[in-house]
This record gives sequence, C-alpha cells and structure tokens, in this order.
Amino acid sequence: MNGMSRRPLSWIPPAAAGALLLSLWYGVKRLFLIPSFVLPAPDEIIAAGWHERHTLLASVLVTGRGALLGFLAAVGVGFLLSFVMALSQPLKRSFYPYILMLQMTPVIILAPIFVLWLGQGLPAIVAVTFMICFFPVVANTTMGFISVDRNLRELFVMCRASRWQEIVHLRVPGAMPYFLTGMKIAATLAPIGAITGDFLAGSQQNGVAGIGFMTIVYFSQLKIPALFATGLVACLLGFIFVGGVNLLHWLVLRRWHDSMTGRDS
Amino acid sequence: MLAGAPMVSLRSSSLVRLDRVGKSFGNGPPVLAGIDLAAAAGDFVAFLGPSGCGKSTLLRLIAGLTPATAGEIEVAGRPPEQARGESFLVFQDPNLLPWRRVAANVELPLELRGEARAGRRERVRQMLDLVGLHDAADRFPWQLSGGMRMRVSIARALSVAPRLLLLDEPFGALDEITRDRLNEDLLAIRQHDPFTAFFVTHSVAEAVFLSNRIVVLAPNPGRIAAEIPVPFPYPRLPELREAPSYLAVLADVAKALRAVLP
Repeated sequence: MNGMSRRPLSWIPPAAAGALLLSLWYGVKRLFLIPSFVLPAPDEIIAAGWHERHTLLASVLVTGRGALLGFLAAVGVGFLLSFVMALSQPLKRSFYPYILMLQMTPVIILAPIFVLWLGQGLPAIVAVTFMICFFPVVANTTMGFISVDRNLRELFVMCRASRWQEIVHLRVPGAMPYFLTGMKIAATLAPIGAITGDFLAGSQQNGVAGIGFMTIVYFSQLKIPALFATGLVACLLGFIFVGGVNLLHWLVLRRWHDSMTGRDS
Repeated sequence: MLAGAPMVSLRSSSLVRLDRVGKSFGNGPPVLAGIDLAAAAGDFVAFLGPSGCGKSTLLRLIAGLTPATAGEIEVAGRPPEQARGESFLVFQDPNLLPWRRVAANVELPLELRGEARAGRRERVRQMLDLVGLHDAADRFPWQLSGGMRMRVSIARALSVAPRLLLLDEPFGALDEITRDRLNEDLLAIRQHDPFTAFFVTHSVAEAVFLSNRIVVLAPNPGRIAAEIPVPFPYPRLPELREAPSYLAVLADVAKALRAVLP
C-alpha cells in the first residue's frame, strides 16, 4: 500500500517545494528586473485569470467538450478495433501497420486536412483529439486481449467453452487493466489534443473560443499574464481528465487487481 | 440396433486406457514412449518420477489438451478431446480468475456449460461445503492463502462431477502441514463424491498416502518403469502415516524411484 498519502503531514514536502519554487520565481524576477510582459509574477497571473474568468471559463468548457468527445470516440473506437483485431490474427497483422502509420503522421499535418474536410471548429478539434488519443488505447487494449494466461485458456478449453464465452468471460475482463492504462494515457493527452486542435483549427464564435485559440488572442493583444493564466487553466483541465479516469480505474479494478489491492506481485 | 451402435470394446470396463502412447514435440526426441496403462473406475493412480519424465505431459494427453503422437488413448470409451466433460485437470497453479469471487470461480464450469442459475448456485454451495470454504464464498482469490486457493480449484473441478480427476502436482507449492491436511481432505471428499483420480507428484509420501496404485516413470523418453500397488483400504486415516506397513511401502517406492534416477 502506498503509505505516503496516508501519513498525516504528507502535504508538507510538496508545499515546501512549492514555496521554494514561488520564492525563486519572485527572486529571479526582482533580481533581473524582468518586466511583467516577459515573465509575470504568480499573483499577477492569478489576478489576470480572475479578471478574465468569464472568458477563460467559457474557453475551458469549449476545449473540455472537444477533449471529452475526442477522448470518448478514441476510447470507443479503440476498444472495438482492438477487440476485432484480437478475434482474428490475420486481421490484426493486416491492419496494425496502418494504425501505426496513422500514429506516426504528425497531427500538425493532419489538422489542416481536417479543417479542409470538416471546417473550422468543434468537429476538427474532436478529430485532432481523437487522433492523439486513439493509439495508446488501441496499443494497450490489443496487448490486453492477446496476453491471456495459457493455463486459463486451457481451463476454458477443458470446460468446452465456445469462442464467444472465452472472449466474454476471459479476454474482456483480463484486458480491463490494459484498457484502463490506455485510457489513462489517452486522458493525459486529450486536453493537449483539444488545445492543439483548437490552436490549429479553432475559431471564435460569438466571442467564445477554446483555450488554444485564446492563447493566440492573448498573445496578439500582449496580455501576457492572461496567457500564463490560460496555461494554468489548461493544466486544471488535464487534472480533471486524469482524475476522472483514475476514478474509473478504481471503480473497475479496486476489488481484484494487484494495482488496487495493495499486493506487490 | 447392433449394427448402428458404436463399437463398445470389451476392454472398456476400464475408464481410462492408454495403448502404446507416445508424444514428441516437433522433431524433438519423444517425451513419452510406449505407455500402456489401464485404470478402472475408482482407481487412485499416483505418478511418480524425476523432473522431465513427462508426467505432466501424460496428464495433458489424457485431458485432451494436446494430442498424442503415437498410440491410442480412451477416456470413458472415447478419444480424450471428446471426453472433456468426463475428465477435468487441476493445474499445478490454482489458476483462478482474479476478477471473480470464490463462488463465481467455482461456478464457472457450470456457467460455461449453460446450466440453470438456481441449480448452479446450489451446486456451488455444496462444493464449497465439501472443501470447507463456505465462509470464503464472497472473497476474491487474492484474499486467500495458497492452500485455500487450491481448495477452490478442486471445488471448481468437482463442480461438474467429472468421472476422472487429473491432478498435476496440485499441492506442490504448499508447505508440508497444509499438504498433509489437503491430502486427508481430498480422500474424505472422494469418500463422499467418488471419482477416479490420476495424481502427479514428486512426493513419495503423498503418493503412498493417497493412491491404490503408484506408477513410477523413468525419463528419456518418459516410460513406465514400475508399478507398485498400495494395499491399504479406504477410508484412510492420518494415523496410517505412522503404521509400519505404510513405512514399508514407502521404502519400496523410494527404492523403485532411486532405480530410475540417472
């Protein structure tokens, strides 16, 4: 069991490190007389964020929506595709190289193509997020479906289980830890994907735009503290995503999986 | 009637019959060669031999998990792959599904057979009572000791009431006290629920305590070197372990085993 988080006073080391980093920040800024349009002080960032709170909240919702839709699409399609590839070795051998190819193609290149096909805005952002999240889900889940203990498979043979029964009762539950690991990686990438998509393919509608687009706006207006605040907000969005998947991981695996039962095995 | 009926050979009074059975993997040397063996219903046959003599392979052939490359095997008058419902192999490792609770693990073979839920539940309850684990029904495998996990594995195998139970060193990973206890319990279960057993082990004492026949295997290729009857009637009590007649058989078997060691 990870005892660190259970110990009372465990917040002290990270708090101390945070205080150290903050004083370094202020110290460097004061010592080298760095102006706020190059490096704003933390309190200026907070203040700018508060001042821009309505815009930022709206942009987080826009980006969050794109990230969530792209993430869910990647998880759903990724799971199904892995499932199909686990069913058939020839199918896997045939398609896996192309999935890999898709992953190797930089999103920066794909984004304008998506804009061409889907137009500026949400659909293109979702597509970019999907592209970024898809591969870790497929790679991990496929691995989960194929790494089934040989003895367990023989147990099913002995019980004269059908192929379908083997999948439902053995392969799918056995693949869950891998699937959730893929989802965790995808969850860290989803906000980044949506912000990137937003940056490359976003637009402002009724004065509302996503985080990626707002960075362009703030930069062009030289609202540098607000630009930094945008980063802070993006970071919070990432934590929300990872927290959500961690919760799911806990709900699904807490009863039986080694990662949750406190066993080292 | 006679013309259309499947051939029932006269020899099929034996539940298991092996006729010049051999096994090799790929182009490698044979792992097993010329195995002749017949076991009647109710036999408890122990297989003893040094590592690498093909004991586990022999069980896997009989379980129909891998085909023999020579000779012929019959279980309940059928080839082993078709007799899978009649036989069940208990692995060295308890081999439980970690995401299923104890009761659901025991239920698995019945579920895969498509049996009705109510009947399944009742059978699971009986099996857990039989192996002394009714209090652990709702636990997960990781919450059990090694001995308890093995009991679950045995309960799961017995849930389908196989006529032939194949056990591949089931207690090999357990300490001696737990192992003795499980040996006694296995015999007690068999009093209640008679099955024919093939039991692979490295332990001479375990083989003598459990079986009525001990088959000693020699390696390279795996073959039957000796067969020793164990004359003690069932039910057997733990005190048998101190009886001079038991110790005499133990010595005989140890001697036979020493003869096949390189």
